[in-house]
Amino acid sequence: MSTDQRDGGRIADVQGPTVPRMLVGIQLHRFREAAGITPDQAAYEIRASRSKISRMENGLVRFKERDVTDLLTLYGITDEPTRSGLVTLTRQANTPGWWSKYGDIMADWFESYLGLEMAASVIRTFELQFVHGLFQTEDYARAVTLLGHTSAPADEIDRRVSLRLKRQDLLTGAAPPQVWSVIDEGALRRPVGGPAVMRAQLDRLVEVARLRHVTIQVVPFSRGGHAAAGGSFTVLRFGEPEVPDVVYLEQLTSALYLDKREDVDHYMEVMNHLSTEALTPAQSARFVTEMIRDT
Amino acid sequence: MTDVSSTPGEPDAAAGTGIDTTVSHSARIWDYWLGGKDNYQVDREVGDRIEEMLPDIVRQAREDRLFLGRVVRYLAGEAGIRQFLDIGTGLPTADNTHQVAQRVAPECKIVYVDNDPLVLAHARALLTSTPEGVTDYLHADMHDPGSIIAGAGRTLDFGRPIAITMLGVLWHVMDNDEANAIVDRLVQAMPSGSYLALNHPTLEVTGEKMATAIQYWNQYGKPPGTHRTPDELIRFFDGMDLVEPGVVSITRWRPEATSSGEPEEIDQFGGVGRKP
Repeated sequence: MSTDQRDGGRIADVQGPTVPRMLVGIQLHRFREAAGITPDQAAYEIRASRSKISRMENGLVRFKERDVTDLLTLYGITDEPTRSGLVTLTRQANTPGWWSKYGDIMADWFESYLGLEMAASVIRTFELQFVHGLFQTEDYARAVTLLGHTSAPADEIDRRVSLRLKRQDLLTGAAPPQVWSVIDEGALRRPVGGPAVMRAQLDRLVEVARLRHVTIQVVPFSRGGHAAAGGSFTVLRFGEPEVPDVVYLEQLTSALYLDKREDVDHYMEVMNHLSTEALTPAQSARFVTEMIRDT
Repeated sequence: MTDVSSTPGEPDAAAGTGIDTTVSHSARIWDYWLGGKDNYQVDREVGDRIEEMLPDIVRQAREDRLFLGRVVRYLAGEAGIRQFLDIGTGLPTADNTHQVAQRVAPECKIVYVDNDPLVLAHARALLTSTPEGVTDYLHADMHDPGSIIAGAGRTLDFGRPIAITMLGVLWHVMDNDEANAIVDRLVQAMPSGSYLALNHPTLEVTGEKMATAIQYWNQYGKPPGTHRTPDELIRFFDGMDLVEPGVVSITRWRPEATSSGEPEEIDQFGGVGRKP
Protein backbone atom coordinates (compact mmCIF):
# COMPACT_ATOMS: atom_id res chain seq x y z
CA MET A 1 0.00 0.00 0.00
CA SER A 2 2.95 2.31 0.48
CA THR A 3 3.29 2.91 -3.24
CA ASP A 4 -0.42 3.72 -3.43
CA GLN A 5 0.11 6.33 -0.77
CA ARG A 6 2.95 7.89 -2.65
CA ASP A 7 1.08 7.89 -5.94
CA GLY A 8 -2.02 9.14 -4.19
CA GLY A 9 -0.01 12.00 -2.75
CA ARG A 10 1.28 13.00 -6.15
CA ILE A 11 -2.18 12.84 -7.62
CA ALA A 12 -3.77 14.95 -4.91
CA ASP A 13 -1.04 17.58 -4.94
CA VAL A 14 -1.16 18.12 -8.63
CA GLN A 15 -4.59 17.26 -9.74
CA GLY A 16 -7.26 17.67 -7.09
CA PRO A 17 -9.49 15.13 -5.42
CA THR A 18 -11.13 13.31 -8.30
CA VAL A 19 -8.79 10.46 -8.97
CA PRO A 20 -8.13 9.66 -5.28
CA ARG A 21 -11.91 9.58 -4.90
CA MET A 22 -12.23 7.13 -7.77
CA LEU A 23 -9.40 5.00 -6.41
CA VAL A 24 -10.98 4.81 -2.95
CA GLY A 25 -14.29 3.89 -4.60
CA ILE A 26 -12.77 1.21 -6.80
CA GLN A 27 -10.98 -0.39 -3.85
CA LEU A 28 -14.05 -0.31 -1.63
CA HIS A 29 -15.99 -1.99 -4.41
CA ARG A 30 -13.30 -4.63 -4.87
CA PHE A 31 -13.08 -5.40 -1.13
CA ARG A 32 -16.86 -5.59 -0.76
CA GLU A 33 -17.22 -8.01 -3.66
CA ALA A 34 -14.36 -10.15 -2.38
CA ALA A 35 -16.02 -10.35 1.03
CA GLY A 36 -19.34 -11.36 -0.58
CA ILE A 37 -21.21 -8.49 1.07
CA THR A 38 -24.22 -6.89 -0.64
CA PRO A 39 -24.59 -3.11 -1.03
CA ASP A 40 -27.55 -3.29 1.38
CA GLN A 41 -25.48 -4.93 4.09
CA ALA A 42 -22.73 -2.36 3.60
CA ALA A 43 -25.26 0.47 3.72
CA TYR A 44 -26.71 -0.86 6.97
CA GLU A 45 -23.27 -0.92 8.56
CA ILE A 46 -22.72 2.81 8.01
CA ARG A 47 -26.38 3.81 8.45
CA ALA A 48 -26.66 4.93 4.84
CA SER A 49 -28.65 4.05 1.77
CA ARG A 50 -27.78 1.48 -0.83
CA SER A 51 -27.40 4.27 -3.38
CA LYS A 52 -24.89 6.03 -1.13
CA ILE A 53 -22.72 2.89 -1.27
CA SER A 54 -23.01 2.92 -5.04
CA ARG A 55 -22.08 6.62 -5.23
CA MET A 56 -19.12 6.01 -2.94
CA GLU A 57 -17.90 3.11 -5.03
CA ASN A 58 -18.22 5.21 -8.17
CA GLY A 59 -16.14 7.95 -6.58
CA LEU A 60 -18.91 10.51 -6.88
CA VAL A 61 -19.10 11.71 -3.27
CA ARG A 62 -16.89 12.88 -0.47
CA PHE A 63 -16.06 10.18 2.06
CA LYS A 64 -16.27 10.26 5.83
CA GLU A 65 -13.11 8.69 7.17
CA ARG A 66 -15.19 6.82 9.74
CA ASP A 67 -17.39 5.30 7.01
CA VAL A 68 -14.34 4.06 5.15
CA THR A 69 -12.79 2.43 8.23
CA ASP A 70 -16.12 0.88 9.28
CA LEU A 71 -16.57 -0.60 5.81
CA LEU A 72 -13.03 -1.96 5.79
CA THR A 73 -13.72 -3.69 9.11
CA LEU A 74 -16.94 -5.13 7.73
CA TYR A 75 -15.06 -6.39 4.67
CA GLY A 76 -12.50 -8.11 6.90
CA ILE A 77 -9.61 -5.85 5.90
CA THR A 78 -7.49 -5.85 9.03
CA ASP A 79 -4.10 -5.39 7.42
CA GLU A 80 -2.86 -2.09 8.87
CA PRO A 81 -0.88 -0.75 5.88
CA THR A 82 -3.86 -1.36 3.60
CA ARG A 83 -6.21 0.40 5.99
CA SER A 84 -3.99 3.40 6.57
CA GLY A 85 -3.24 3.65 2.87
CA LEU A 86 -6.90 3.90 2.07
CA VAL A 87 -7.43 6.44 4.85
CA THR A 88 -4.67 8.61 3.40
CA LEU A 89 -6.30 8.39 -0.01
CA THR A 90 -9.62 9.31 1.60
CA ARG A 91 -8.11 12.47 3.06
CA GLN A 92 -6.71 13.39 -0.34
CA ALA A 93 -10.09 12.67 -1.87
CA ASN A 94 -11.59 15.30 0.41
CA THR A 95 -9.13 18.07 -0.41
CA PRO A 96 -10.82 20.67 -2.62
CA GLY A 97 -9.41 21.45 -6.08
CA TRP A 98 -8.44 24.93 -7.27
CA TRP A 99 -11.82 25.32 -8.89
CA SER A 100 -13.73 25.14 -5.61
CA LYS A 101 -13.76 28.94 -5.32
CA TYR A 102 -15.95 29.06 -8.42
CA GLY A 103 -18.51 26.86 -6.67
CA ASP A 104 -21.24 29.51 -6.75
CA ILE A 105 -21.32 29.71 -10.54
CA MET A 106 -20.64 26.09 -11.21
CA ALA A 107 -23.02 23.21 -11.10
CA ASP A 108 -21.78 20.19 -9.14
CA TRP A 109 -21.65 18.12 -12.28
CA PHE A 110 -19.31 20.55 -13.94
CA GLU A 111 -17.11 20.67 -10.85
CA SER A 112 -16.73 16.89 -11.11
CA TYR A 113 -15.83 17.27 -14.76
CA LEU A 114 -13.06 19.76 -14.00
CA GLY A 115 -11.62 17.32 -11.50
CA LEU A 116 -11.58 14.57 -14.06
CA GLU A 117 -10.13 16.82 -16.73
CA MET A 118 -7.30 17.85 -14.40
CA ALA A 119 -6.56 14.24 -13.57
CA ALA A 120 -6.75 12.77 -17.08
CA SER A 121 -3.73 11.61 -19.04
CA VAL A 122 -5.58 11.64 -22.38
CA ILE A 123 -8.62 13.76 -23.18
CA ARG A 124 -10.42 12.83 -26.40
CA THR A 125 -13.24 15.08 -27.52
CA PHE A 126 -15.67 15.31 -30.37
CA GLU A 127 -17.08 18.81 -30.86
CA LEU A 128 -20.06 19.37 -33.09
CA GLN A 129 -21.08 22.92 -32.23
CA PHE A 130 -18.30 24.89 -30.56
CA VAL A 131 -14.54 24.90 -30.34
CA HIS A 132 -13.52 22.98 -27.22
CA GLY A 133 -13.27 25.02 -24.00
CA LEU A 134 -9.56 24.26 -23.65
CA PHE A 135 -8.84 25.97 -26.97
CA GLN A 136 -11.14 29.00 -26.76
CA THR A 137 -9.90 32.58 -26.98
CA GLU A 138 -11.20 34.98 -24.36
CA ASP A 139 -13.55 36.68 -26.85
CA TYR A 140 -14.90 33.41 -28.16
CA ALA A 141 -15.38 32.10 -24.60
CA ARG A 142 -17.26 35.30 -23.75
CA ALA A 143 -19.52 34.94 -26.78
CA VAL A 144 -20.29 31.30 -25.94
CA THR A 145 -20.95 32.21 -22.30
CA LEU A 146 -23.31 35.02 -23.31
CA LEU A 147 -25.24 32.58 -25.49
CA GLY A 148 -25.89 30.38 -22.48
CA HIS A 149 -26.49 33.09 -19.85
CA THR A 150 -28.39 35.86 -21.56
CA SER A 151 -29.63 37.47 -18.35
CA ALA A 152 -26.53 37.08 -16.17
CA PRO A 153 -24.90 40.24 -14.73
CA ALA A 154 -21.63 41.38 -16.27
CA ASP A 155 -19.45 40.37 -13.32
CA GLU A 156 -20.85 36.84 -13.39
CA ILE A 157 -20.04 36.60 -17.09
CA ASP A 158 -16.51 37.79 -16.30
CA ARG A 159 -16.07 35.12 -13.67
CA ARG A 160 -17.40 32.42 -15.97
CA VAL A 161 -14.98 33.48 -18.67
CA SER A 162 -12.12 33.62 -16.20
CA LEU A 163 -12.94 30.10 -15.00
CA ARG A 164 -12.82 28.88 -18.58
CA LEU A 165 -9.48 30.54 -19.22
CA LYS A 166 -8.06 29.29 -15.93
CA ARG A 167 -8.94 25.77 -17.06
CA GLN A 168 -6.58 26.24 -19.99
CA ASP A 169 -3.60 26.35 -17.61
CA LEU A 170 -3.83 22.60 -18.00
CA LEU A 171 -2.30 22.88 -21.46
CA THR A 172 0.75 24.81 -20.31
CA GLY A 173 1.40 22.98 -17.05
CA ALA A 174 4.42 20.82 -16.30
CA ALA A 175 2.79 17.49 -17.21
CA PRO A 176 -0.07 18.33 -19.55
CA PRO A 177 -2.48 15.63 -20.71
CA GLN A 178 -2.66 14.66 -24.36
CA VAL A 179 -5.67 16.48 -25.77
CA TRP A 180 -6.99 14.87 -28.93
CA SER A 181 -9.90 16.78 -30.35
CA VAL A 182 -12.01 15.91 -33.37
CA ILE A 183 -14.04 18.87 -34.50
CA ASP A 184 -16.82 19.09 -37.02
CA GLU A 185 -16.44 21.65 -39.80
CA GLY A 186 -19.75 23.15 -38.66
CA ALA A 187 -18.17 24.28 -35.38
CA LEU A 188 -15.47 26.09 -37.37
CA ARG A 189 -17.90 27.75 -39.78
CA ARG A 190 -20.33 29.08 -37.15
CA PRO A 191 -19.14 32.66 -36.51
CA VAL A 192 -19.63 32.74 -32.75
CA GLY A 193 -19.04 36.34 -31.61
CA GLY A 194 -18.81 37.57 -35.22
CA PRO A 195 -16.31 37.05 -38.03
CA ALA A 196 -13.39 38.83 -36.32
CA VAL A 197 -13.73 36.81 -33.11
CA MET A 198 -14.06 33.64 -35.14
CA ARG A 199 -11.03 34.41 -37.23
CA ALA A 200 -8.92 34.96 -34.13
CA GLN A 201 -10.32 31.70 -32.76
CA LEU A 202 -9.23 29.84 -35.90
CA ASP A 203 -5.75 31.38 -35.55
CA ARG A 204 -5.66 30.09 -31.99
CA LEU A 205 -6.61 26.60 -33.14
CA VAL A 206 -3.74 26.48 -35.62
CA GLU A 207 -1.38 27.73 -32.93
CA VAL A 208 -2.51 25.35 -30.21
CA ALA A 209 -2.38 22.40 -32.61
CA ARG A 210 1.38 22.94 -32.89
CA LEU A 211 1.76 21.89 -29.26
CA ARG A 212 3.18 18.42 -29.02
CA HIS A 213 0.43 17.21 -26.71
CA VAL A 214 -2.45 18.68 -28.71
CA THR A 215 -4.00 17.03 -31.75
CA ILE A 216 -6.78 18.59 -33.78
CA GLN A 217 -8.59 16.73 -36.52
CA VAL A 218 -11.34 18.28 -38.62
CA VAL A 219 -14.27 16.29 -39.99
CA PRO A 220 -15.12 18.25 -43.15
CA PHE A 221 -18.65 18.48 -44.54
CA SER A 222 -17.45 16.39 -47.47
CA ARG A 223 -17.14 13.47 -45.08
CA GLY A 224 -20.64 13.87 -43.79
CA GLY A 225 -22.85 11.28 -42.18
CA HIS A 226 -20.22 10.49 -39.62
CA ALA A 227 -20.48 8.17 -36.70
CA ALA A 228 -21.47 10.54 -33.89
CA ALA A 229 -25.07 11.20 -34.78
CA GLY A 230 -25.67 11.88 -31.09
CA GLY A 231 -23.54 15.00 -30.66
CA SER A 232 -20.48 16.19 -28.78
CA PHE A 233 -18.83 14.00 -26.16
CA THR A 234 -15.58 13.55 -24.29
CA VAL A 235 -13.67 10.44 -23.28
CA LEU A 236 -11.22 10.81 -20.41
CA ARG A 237 -8.40 8.37 -19.84
CA PHE A 238 -6.38 8.17 -16.65
CA GLY A 239 -2.81 6.99 -16.19
CA GLU A 240 -3.72 4.58 -13.42
CA PRO A 241 -4.37 1.15 -14.98
CA GLU A 242 -7.19 0.38 -12.55
CA VAL A 243 -9.17 3.55 -13.27
CA PRO A 244 -11.53 3.02 -16.20
CA ASP A 245 -12.08 5.48 -19.03
CA VAL A 246 -14.94 7.87 -18.37
CA VAL A 247 -17.32 9.17 -21.02
CA TYR A 248 -18.67 12.65 -20.33
CA LEU A 249 -21.83 13.93 -21.97
CA GLU A 250 -22.89 17.47 -21.20
CA GLN A 251 -26.57 18.28 -21.25
CA LEU A 252 -28.42 21.53 -20.68
CA THR A 253 -28.82 21.27 -16.93
CA SER A 254 -26.75 18.26 -16.04
CA ALA A 255 -24.11 15.89 -17.28
CA LEU A 256 -23.80 12.18 -17.70
CA TYR A 257 -20.75 10.17 -16.72
CA LEU A 258 -20.43 6.68 -18.11
CA ASP A 259 -17.77 4.28 -16.97
CA LYS A 260 -19.39 0.89 -17.53
CA ARG A 261 -17.29 -1.08 -19.91
CA GLU A 262 -20.11 -1.62 -22.48
CA ASP A 263 -20.92 2.10 -22.58
CA VAL A 264 -17.31 3.17 -22.78
CA ASP A 265 -16.63 0.60 -25.52
CA HIS A 266 -19.49 1.97 -27.55
CA TYR A 267 -18.40 5.61 -27.29
CA MET A 268 -14.78 4.67 -27.83
CA GLU A 269 -15.78 2.86 -31.00
CA VAL A 270 -17.55 5.99 -32.25
CA MET A 271 -14.59 8.17 -31.27
CA ASN A 272 -12.23 5.84 -33.10
CA HIS A 273 -14.42 5.94 -36.19
CA LEU A 274 -14.43 9.73 -36.07
CA SER A 275 -10.65 9.87 -35.68
CA THR A 276 -10.08 7.66 -38.70
CA GLU A 277 -12.76 9.41 -40.76
CA ALA A 278 -11.47 12.90 -40.01
CA LEU A 279 -8.63 14.62 -41.85
CA THR A 280 -5.21 13.79 -40.42
CA PRO A 281 -3.72 16.39 -38.05
CA ALA A 282 -1.51 17.76 -40.83
CA GLN A 283 -4.39 17.92 -43.32
CA SER A 284 -6.53 19.57 -40.64
CA ALA A 285 -3.93 22.30 -40.06
CA ARG A 286 -3.95 23.04 -43.78
CA PHE A 287 -7.74 23.00 -43.81
CA VAL A 288 -8.04 25.56 -41.01
CA THR A 289 -5.26 27.70 -42.48
CA GLU A 290 -7.12 27.79 -45.80
CA MET A 291 -10.34 28.72 -44.00
CA ILE A 292 -8.54 31.67 -42.41
CA ARG A 293 -7.11 32.73 -45.76
CA ASP A 294 -10.54 32.58 -47.39
CA THR A 295 -12.29 34.72 -44.78
CA MET B 1 0.20 18.84 -35.79
CA THR B 2 3.83 18.31 -35.10
CA ASP B 3 4.10 15.54 -37.64
CA VAL B 4 5.59 16.20 -41.01
CA SER B 5 3.07 14.26 -43.02
CA SER B 6 2.09 17.55 -44.58
CA THR B 7 4.14 16.49 -47.59
CA PRO B 8 1.93 16.65 -50.66
CA GLY B 9 0.98 13.27 -51.92
CA GLU B 10 0.55 11.84 -48.46
CA PRO B 11 -1.43 8.66 -48.89
CA ASP B 12 -4.86 9.38 -47.55
CA ALA B 13 -5.11 6.91 -44.73
CA ALA B 14 -7.96 8.71 -43.11
CA ALA B 15 -10.60 7.95 -45.66
CA GLY B 16 -12.60 6.10 -43.15
CA THR B 17 -12.56 2.37 -43.62
CA GLY B 18 -11.03 -0.40 -41.74
CA ILE B 19 -12.01 -0.51 -38.07
CA ASP B 20 -13.85 -3.73 -37.63
CA THR B 21 -15.19 -4.19 -34.14
CA THR B 22 -16.80 -7.52 -34.93
CA VAL B 23 -13.49 -9.28 -35.57
CA SER B 24 -10.75 -9.19 -32.99
CA HIS B 25 -7.73 -7.45 -34.35
CA SER B 26 -4.03 -7.94 -33.69
CA ALA B 27 -3.15 -4.49 -32.32
CA ARG B 28 -6.16 -4.46 -29.99
CA ILE B 29 -5.53 -7.99 -28.66
CA TRP B 30 -1.92 -7.08 -27.88
CA ASP B 31 -3.18 -3.94 -26.20
CA TYR B 32 -5.42 -6.12 -24.04
CA TRP B 33 -2.60 -8.46 -23.04
CA LEU B 34 -0.47 -5.44 -22.19
CA GLY B 35 -3.14 -4.15 -19.83
CA GLY B 36 -4.18 -1.32 -22.15
CA LYS B 37 -7.65 0.17 -22.47
CA ASP B 38 -7.90 0.34 -26.27
CA ASN B 39 -9.63 -2.96 -26.89
CA TYR B 40 -13.14 -4.16 -27.45
CA GLN B 41 -15.18 -7.06 -26.07
CA VAL B 42 -14.39 -9.24 -29.08
CA ASP B 43 -10.65 -8.71 -28.53
CA ARG B 44 -10.88 -9.48 -24.83
CA GLU B 45 -12.73 -12.72 -25.54
CA VAL B 46 -10.17 -13.96 -28.03
CA GLY B 47 -7.36 -12.69 -25.78
CA ASP B 48 -8.74 -14.60 -22.78
CA ARG B 49 -9.25 -17.76 -24.78
CA ILE B 50 -5.68 -17.68 -26.08
CA GLU B 51 -4.40 -17.01 -22.58
CA GLU B 52 -6.18 -20.18 -21.41
CA MET B 53 -4.37 -22.17 -24.08
CA LEU B 54 -1.06 -20.38 -23.65
CA PRO B 55 -0.81 -18.81 -20.18
CA ASP B 56 2.62 -17.46 -21.13
CA ILE B 57 1.14 -15.06 -23.70
CA VAL B 58 0.76 -12.10 -21.35
CA ARG B 59 4.39 -12.44 -20.35
CA GLN B 60 5.34 -12.68 -24.03
CA ALA B 61 3.46 -9.48 -24.77
CA ARG B 62 5.26 -7.68 -21.94
CA GLU B 63 8.65 -9.12 -22.86
CA ASP B 64 8.07 -8.02 -26.45
CA ARG B 65 7.83 -4.40 -25.27
CA LEU B 66 10.85 -4.78 -22.97
CA PHE B 67 12.80 -6.23 -25.91
CA LEU B 68 11.79 -3.21 -27.98
CA GLY B 69 13.12 -0.97 -25.22
CA ARG B 70 16.49 -2.75 -24.97
CA VAL B 71 16.91 -3.00 -28.75
CA VAL B 72 16.11 0.65 -29.42
CA ARG B 73 18.33 1.79 -26.52
CA TYR B 74 21.16 -0.31 -27.97
CA LEU B 75 20.59 1.04 -31.49
CA ALA B 76 20.35 4.69 -30.47
CA GLY B 77 23.08 4.30 -27.85
CA GLU B 78 25.93 1.92 -28.63
CA ALA B 79 25.17 1.72 -32.37
CA GLY B 80 24.63 5.47 -32.74
CA ILE B 81 21.56 5.14 -34.99
CA ARG B 82 19.46 8.28 -35.44
CA GLN B 83 16.88 7.04 -37.98
CA PHE B 84 14.28 4.37 -37.29
CA LEU B 85 11.76 2.62 -39.50
CA ASP B 86 9.25 0.98 -37.15
CA ILE B 87 7.15 -1.49 -39.13
CA GLY B 88 4.09 -2.74 -37.27
CA THR B 89 3.70 0.03 -34.74
CA GLY B 90 0.71 -1.26 -32.80
CA LEU B 91 -1.39 0.82 -30.44
CA PRO B 92 0.57 3.25 -28.27
CA THR B 93 1.73 1.90 -24.93
CA ALA B 94 4.25 3.03 -22.32
CA ASP B 95 7.61 3.06 -24.14
CA ASN B 96 7.17 3.47 -27.85
CA THR B 97 10.09 3.50 -30.27
CA HIS B 98 10.42 7.27 -30.57
CA GLN B 99 10.23 7.78 -26.83
CA VAL B 100 13.01 5.29 -26.15
CA ALA B 101 15.16 6.57 -29.03
CA GLN B 102 14.63 10.25 -28.31
CA ARG B 103 15.46 9.75 -24.65
CA VAL B 104 18.90 8.66 -25.84
CA ALA B 105 19.13 11.27 -28.61
CA PRO B 106 16.28 13.80 -28.97
CA GLU B 107 17.11 14.40 -32.65
CA CYS B 108 16.14 10.85 -33.70
CA LYS B 109 13.78 10.52 -36.65
CA ILE B 110 11.19 7.78 -36.52
CA VAL B 111 8.81 6.63 -39.24
CA TYR B 112 5.95 4.56 -37.88
CA VAL B 113 4.40 2.15 -40.36
CA ASP B 114 1.18 0.23 -39.90
CA ASN B 115 -1.66 -0.98 -42.08
CA ASP B 116 -4.34 -0.54 -39.39
CA PRO B 117 -6.09 2.85 -39.66
CA LEU B 118 -6.88 2.81 -35.94
CA VAL B 119 -3.19 2.43 -35.13
CA LEU B 120 -2.30 5.24 -37.54
CA ALA B 121 -4.85 7.62 -36.00
CA HIS B 122 -3.48 6.89 -32.52
CA ALA B 123 0.12 7.24 -33.65
CA ARG B 124 -0.49 10.63 -35.29
CA ALA B 125 -2.18 11.93 -32.15
CA LEU B 126 -0.13 10.34 -29.39
CA LEU B 127 3.29 9.37 -30.78
CA THR B 128 4.56 12.87 -31.34
CA SER B 129 8.17 13.88 -31.60
CA THR B 130 10.49 15.98 -29.50
CA PRO B 131 11.02 19.43 -31.05
CA GLU B 132 14.55 18.34 -32.07
CA GLY B 133 13.47 15.14 -33.82
CA VAL B 134 10.79 14.02 -36.23
CA THR B 135 8.05 11.42 -36.22
CA ASP B 136 6.17 10.54 -39.38
CA TYR B 137 3.37 8.09 -39.99
CA LEU B 138 2.93 5.83 -42.95
CA HIS B 139 -0.15 3.86 -43.85
CA ALA B 140 1.38 0.96 -45.71
CA ASP B 141 1.39 -2.79 -45.77
CA MET B 142 4.50 -4.82 -45.13
CA HIS B 143 3.53 -7.06 -48.05
CA ASP B 144 4.41 -4.05 -50.21
CA PRO B 145 7.94 -3.09 -49.07
CA GLY B 146 8.34 -0.80 -52.09
CA SER B 147 5.67 1.55 -50.78
CA ILE B 148 7.28 1.54 -47.33
CA ILE B 149 10.64 2.51 -48.80
CA ALA B 150 9.06 5.23 -50.95
CA GLY B 151 7.02 6.62 -48.04
CA ALA B 152 9.89 6.51 -45.55
CA GLY B 153 11.97 8.52 -48.01
CA ARG B 154 9.86 11.58 -47.14
CA THR B 155 11.52 11.67 -43.74
CA LEU B 156 14.55 9.39 -43.62
CA ASP B 157 17.86 10.00 -45.36
CA PHE B 158 18.76 6.76 -47.14
CA GLY B 159 22.36 7.96 -47.36
CA ARG B 160 22.73 7.41 -43.60
CA PRO B 161 22.25 4.28 -41.50
CA ILE B 162 18.69 3.34 -40.63
CA ALA B 163 17.39 0.78 -38.13
CA ILE B 164 14.43 -1.26 -39.32
CA THR B 165 12.42 -2.74 -36.47
CA MET B 166 9.93 -5.50 -37.27
CA LEU B 167 8.84 -6.55 -33.81
CA GLY B 168 6.07 -9.09 -33.70
CA VAL B 169 5.02 -8.48 -37.31
CA LEU B 170 6.83 -10.88 -39.64
CA TRP B 171 4.80 -13.75 -38.24
CA HIS B 172 1.87 -12.28 -40.19
CA VAL B 173 3.64 -13.19 -43.44
CA MET B 174 2.69 -16.84 -43.81
CA ASP B 175 4.97 -17.76 -46.69
CA ASN B 176 8.68 -18.17 -45.97
CA ASP B 177 9.84 -17.04 -49.40
CA GLU B 178 7.68 -13.95 -49.26
CA ALA B 179 8.85 -13.11 -45.74
CA ASN B 180 12.49 -13.41 -46.84
CA ALA B 181 11.82 -11.36 -49.96
CA ILE B 182 10.23 -8.56 -47.89
CA VAL B 183 13.18 -8.39 -45.52
CA ASP B 184 15.70 -8.55 -48.39
CA ARG B 185 13.99 -5.73 -50.24
CA LEU B 186 13.95 -3.51 -47.15
CA VAL B 187 17.54 -4.22 -46.17
CA GLN B 188 18.75 -3.73 -49.76
CA ALA B 189 17.34 -0.20 -49.74
CA MET B 190 19.36 0.70 -46.63
CA PRO B 191 22.98 1.87 -46.67
CA SER B 192 25.88 0.05 -45.07
CA GLY B 193 25.85 0.36 -41.27
CA SER B 194 22.06 -0.04 -41.09
CA TYR B 195 20.40 -2.48 -38.72
CA LEU B 196 17.50 -4.92 -38.73
CA ALA B 197 15.76 -6.00 -35.50
CA LEU B 198 12.99 -8.57 -35.36
CA ASN B 199 11.23 -11.03 -33.12
CA HIS B 200 8.87 -13.83 -33.88
CA PRO B 201 6.85 -16.63 -32.22
CA THR B 202 8.52 -20.05 -32.11
CA LEU B 203 7.65 -23.49 -30.76
CA GLU B 204 10.93 -23.84 -28.84
CA VAL B 205 9.54 -23.47 -25.33
CA THR B 206 5.81 -24.13 -25.25
CA GLY B 207 5.61 -26.33 -28.35
CA GLU B 208 2.12 -27.59 -29.09
CA LYS B 209 0.53 -24.98 -26.83
CA MET B 210 1.85 -22.21 -29.03
CA ALA B 211 0.85 -24.07 -32.19
CA THR B 212 -2.70 -24.52 -30.89
CA ALA B 213 -2.92 -20.89 -29.81
CA ILE B 214 -1.83 -19.72 -33.27
CA GLN B 215 -4.40 -22.00 -34.88
CA TYR B 216 -7.06 -20.45 -32.69
CA TRP B 217 -5.79 -16.95 -33.51
CA ASN B 218 -6.05 -17.74 -37.21
CA GLN B 219 -9.65 -18.78 -36.77
CA TYR B 220 -10.81 -15.74 -34.77
CA GLY B 221 -8.16 -13.05 -35.00
CA LYS B 222 -6.89 -10.88 -37.81
CA PRO B 223 -4.50 -10.92 -39.61
CA PRO B 224 -3.42 -14.59 -39.52
CA GLY B 225 0.05 -15.61 -38.39
CA THR B 226 2.52 -18.47 -38.19
CA HIS B 227 5.44 -19.69 -36.08
CA ARG B 228 9.00 -20.17 -37.34
CA THR B 229 12.13 -21.91 -36.10
CA PRO B 230 15.17 -19.99 -34.81
CA ASP B 231 17.06 -21.21 -37.91
CA GLU B 232 14.43 -19.67 -40.13
CA LEU B 233 14.80 -16.44 -38.18
CA ILE B 234 18.59 -16.51 -38.64
CA ARG B 235 18.02 -16.73 -42.39
CA PHE B 236 16.33 -13.30 -42.29
CA PHE B 237 19.75 -11.92 -41.36
CA ASP B 238 21.55 -13.47 -44.36
CA GLY B 239 24.33 -11.16 -45.50
CA MET B 240 24.28 -9.27 -42.19
CA ASP B 241 26.42 -9.53 -39.07
CA LEU B 242 24.36 -10.73 -36.12
CA VAL B 243 24.89 -8.61 -33.04
CA GLU B 244 25.76 -10.66 -29.91
CA PRO B 245 24.12 -12.84 -28.59
CA GLY B 246 22.52 -13.66 -31.97
CA VAL B 247 18.99 -15.01 -32.34
CA VAL B 248 17.80 -16.03 -28.88
CA SER B 249 14.71 -15.97 -26.70
CA ILE B 250 14.08 -12.23 -26.43
CA THR B 251 14.33 -12.45 -22.65
CA ARG B 252 18.00 -13.38 -23.15
CA TRP B 253 18.85 -10.66 -25.63
CA ARG B 254 21.08 -8.35 -23.61
CA PRO B 255 18.93 -8.57 -20.46
CA GLU B 256 19.25 -6.01 -17.70
CA ALA B 257 21.47 -7.31 -14.94
CA THR B 258 19.39 -9.21 -12.37
CA SER B 259 20.25 -11.08 -9.23
CA SER B 260 18.35 -14.18 -10.31
CA GLY B 261 20.67 -15.38 -13.06
CA GLU B 262 19.74 -16.01 -16.67
CA PRO B 263 16.12 -15.12 -17.52
CA GLU B 264 13.76 -17.94 -18.48
CA GLU B 265 13.24 -18.53 -22.17
CA ILE B 266 9.94 -17.65 -23.80
CA ASP B 267 8.53 -18.50 -27.21
CA GLN B 268 9.44 -15.19 -28.77
CA PHE B 269 12.86 -15.35 -30.38
CA GLY B 270 14.61 -12.42 -31.93
CA GLY B 271 17.83 -10.70 -32.78
CA VAL B 272 19.54 -7.70 -34.30
CA GLY B 273 21.74 -7.68 -37.41
CA ARG B 274 24.05 -5.05 -38.91
CA LYS B 275 24.42 -4.56 -42.63
CA PRO B 276 28.15 -4.55 -43.38
